[in-house]
Amino acid sequence: MSGFLSYMNGDSILHRLNPLTKLLMSAALCASCFLTHRHSVVIGVIVFNLCMSYSAGGLKRSLAMSVSFIKLALLLFVLQVFFVREGNIILTLPLNIYITDKGALFSSLFSLRLVAATMPLAIMLSVTRMSDISNVLAQKLRIPYKYTFALTTAIRFIPIFSEEMAGIAEAQTARGVEFDTKNFFKKIRLLLPLCVPLLISSVRKIEGSAISAELRGFNLRTRECGYKTYRFGLRDAGALVLTAAIIAAAVLI
Amino acid sequence: MIRINSVSFRYGESLRNAISDVSLTIDDGDFLGIIGASGAGKSTLVYSINGVIPHHFRGDFFGEVLVDGMDTVQTRPEELAKFVGSVHQDIDSQMVASVVEDEILFGLENFKTPHSEIELRIEEALAAAGISGLRDRDIGSLSGGQKQKVAIAAIIALRPKIILLDEPTGELDPQSSRKVFETLRELNERFGITVIVVEQKIMLLCEFSKHLAVMERGGMILNGLVHEVLQRADKLEEAGVNIPRVTTLARKLRERGLYSGAMPLDLDGARVMMREAMRDAAL
Ligand SMILES: Nc1ncnc2c1ncn2[C@@H]1O[C@H](COP(=O)(O)OP(=O)(O)OP(=O)(O)O)[C@@H](O)[C@H]1O
Ligand SMILES: [Mg+2]
Repeated sequence: MSGFLSYMNGDSILHRLNPLTKLLMSAALCASCFLTHRHSVVIGVIVFNLCMSYSAGGLKRSLAMSVSFIKLALLLFVLQVFFVREGNIILTLPLNIYITDKGALFSSLFSLRLVAATMPLAIMLSVTRMSDISNVLAQKLRIPYKYTFALTTAIRFIPIFSEEMAGIAEAQTARGVEFDTKNFFKKIRLLLPLCVPLLISSVRKIEGSAISAELRGFNLRTRECGYKTYRFGLRDAGALVLTAAIIAAAVLI
Repeated sequence: MIRINSVSFRYGESLRNAISDVSLTIDDGDFLGIIGASGAGKSTLVYSINGVIPHHFRGDFFGEVLVDGMDTVQTRPEELAKFVGSVHQDIDSQMVASVVEDEILFGLENFKTPHSEIELRIEEALAAAGISGLRDRDIGSLSGGQKQKVAIAAIIALRPKIILLDEPTGELDPQSSRKVFETLRELNERFGITVIVVEQKIMLLCEFSKHLAVMERGGMILNGLVHEVLQRADKLEEAGVNIPRVTTLARKLRERGLYSGAMPLDLDGARVMMREAMRDAAL
């Protein structure tokens, strides 16, 4: 998983879109998955996502990321499909377990939605610099920079913390704790005590981060400080029209 | 110039002083190394110089620190930061951006550097830190040594008179550590920037710094020119500092009357010493 949020340098159309357009687009793509009740539309969104990441040069990474989401989606599918009791039975298993057509449709739609809806934001974040997000939110939406900076810092810290967690787990493994157990609940029980050292080191990191920002004039910053400006161009208009079309399709089809 | 006059500090919840009665004067253009065992108070001293103490960490602060005549108690840390640039111990937590260029831009924007100057400052800082090729890279994908240089570049862009680094090579291999120190030497010699660096690797300090300060349990037990400090092997050992092997060798040779020259600080010095000792032994 490490690195799936990290910035991918490039010069594609997606890279050059206004950060706000990108956020809007990913929100719209995500929403359209839930506005529609058709498998075809959700699959369409997935294909669109993959096209986007291909155009930005990140198809390989998106596919790798989807694999882990597909695994989760499959798990949820299996868990869910047996619980829907309405509809016509299409498969009977022993122990009074059966699968209905409704159940299969509902669960598969749910799983597809999960995959389709998680991709857009991840793709957008990989082609957008964090500081552009915090700056554009402060400049265009007039959200105080303090909050937008906190938001992007939180996103940036996700991989740092997960690395830290992996480090702590590794240290415990070296002491003979078996984390690579297949038993999900056992794993949770083993990982839970690690939250304390993780919490302590996180607080320390956040403190360090605050000091470092302060020493580089964070408290002096005003909205006008931004060096880059974020104009909307033709490209953005095009992207927004496309987004509107996708939403319309999700509602109408 | 930095003047530290009898400074003591106790962290809020702590029972004893983290540093006690520390006095030190650091001249402009100096390259000062600070060494000492873990918990000796090195980071606390660093925080006292850049104003993080007493502004950020609360506690009992006594004494006086003057940076270019400004009293750290009365001056906001961000004002001091225009003169003193700091790189602290944990490098990952100090980054504020996801891309190298933006990391450098952050301080420039905050301190309202004229926009017409910004491009030049970024290029200059990247070049001085030797990372011009990394400008558009994702910071998460960089090595530890590269991240250190990014942090240094972000500071240099603000054109401080003094740079303060807390264990910049803590997580680096010997080769990257040397590279960081070479960068620091360059800043010191070419731009006249005062360098203050906390470092555990004594050999690096011997080779690169002009002055050496040794801390032990909150106190400053030695401070002076590098070769002077190295003479005090007893005190260094007491402070838990690994004495360089050439120093130990020099001491032994001196005790036997085989060598009387200057304390060698690097390989070249060691070569000169050995030549003299061999010649004396041959006589
Ligand atoms: N935030 C804090 N709150 C309370 N006590 C602290 C804090 N930071 C440091 N101390 C204590 O102050 C003393 C000096 O710590 P300091 O971090 O300055 O040492 P150091 O020489 O930098 O050590 P290291 O080489 O491990 O970085 C230690 O006893 C430490 O436990
Ligand atoms: Mg320290």
